Amino acid sequence: MDAAATSKRMQDLPPKGGYGPIQTERIKLRSILNAKSTWAIFFATQVVGFYAYYLNLKLVRRNQIEMRSARLAIWPALIAERDRAVLRQMRRNRDEEAELMKNVERWEVGTYYGEPIYFLDEENQFREPLFIEHFAHSDPSDYSTRSWRHLFT
Amino acid sequence: MAATAKTILPEESELNVQELNVSWPVLQTASVYIGKACEWYNNEFMLCREEEGDPRRCLDEGKHVTACAMDVLKKMKKHCLEDFNAYMYCLERSSGTLDLNKCRKTQAALDDCVKNNMNIERPPFGYFCEAKVHNTSRPRPPPRDEPIIFPDPTPGLSQDVPREKAKYHNRFWYKS
Repeated sequence: MDAAATSKRMQDLPPKGGYGPIQTERIKLRSILNAKSTWAIFFATQVVGFYAYYLNLKLVRRNQIEMRSARLAIWPALIAERDRAVLRQMRRNRDEEAELMKNVERWEVGTYYGEPIYFLDEENQFREPLFIEHFAHSDPSDYSTRSWRHLFT
Repeated sequence: MAATAKTILPEESELNVQELNVSWPVLQTASVYIGKACEWYNNEFMLCREEEGDPRRCLDEGKHVTACAMDVLKKMKKHCLEDFNAYMYCLERSSGTLDLNKCRKTQAALDDCVKNNMNIERPPFGYFCEAKVHNTSRPRPPPRDEPIIFPDPTPGLSQDVPREKAKYHNRFWYKS
């Protein structure tokens, strides 16, 4: 404080010899690739990439066909077993309904008090049971499990 | 419900047959051999089901299909169990979807064994995706969806009716 008070006041001045020259020219960034080589690399990678994609797609399609072929080979056996299971369950459901509704007057099995559910071409026409019909008399927890599986797989 | 009292359903005793009590990896591993060995039964069953549209009329065909597949699996167990298990193990451990393209070596071994012992040749690539012509002695049922024929169609104009030139030209600006 003493020094500042005692010494002579000095104005801020430029350095001796003045400031250096101000840079006004543009300095270009160091460029690795020019436009031509950028385009060339772009097209080259595109062509190579799409060709590789095409080759891979062919392979994927080929594997899909092979897997589908294996699935179709076993398909009839699965369908045959499924048909038998559905028919068995249809009979069980019908018997269960007859037992359940035997004390209800005018109730006819498979109808709503004699009013048919479906318009059938003939009495014996086969209608595939709906999901809820198939599981009508099952345990509610089983029904829940199977409906989740049905909806999310 | 779907079945009324007048619907004729088969008895349970008619439906009880030995089912394929094996898991999916076994079926996938044996699929092409089963498909090749049981080709006639499979085609017969699928044609029946498609033509009749009623599983009750194709129960016998379905039983033949299951019995034939069961027979192939039994023979497989008898003759080629080791190769079969090796191939199945490879399929199971190689991918989650049992992709067939991962296990060509074990597949070749099983192919060889199956061909020598069971006389089933592995069908060529994509064989079961191809359309097949199936000859059967089962009578063909009448077609289910017959086209509707109307007895009184509107008679059209004959071809040589004179046609006047349009009075106001064409209705589309780009044709005028």
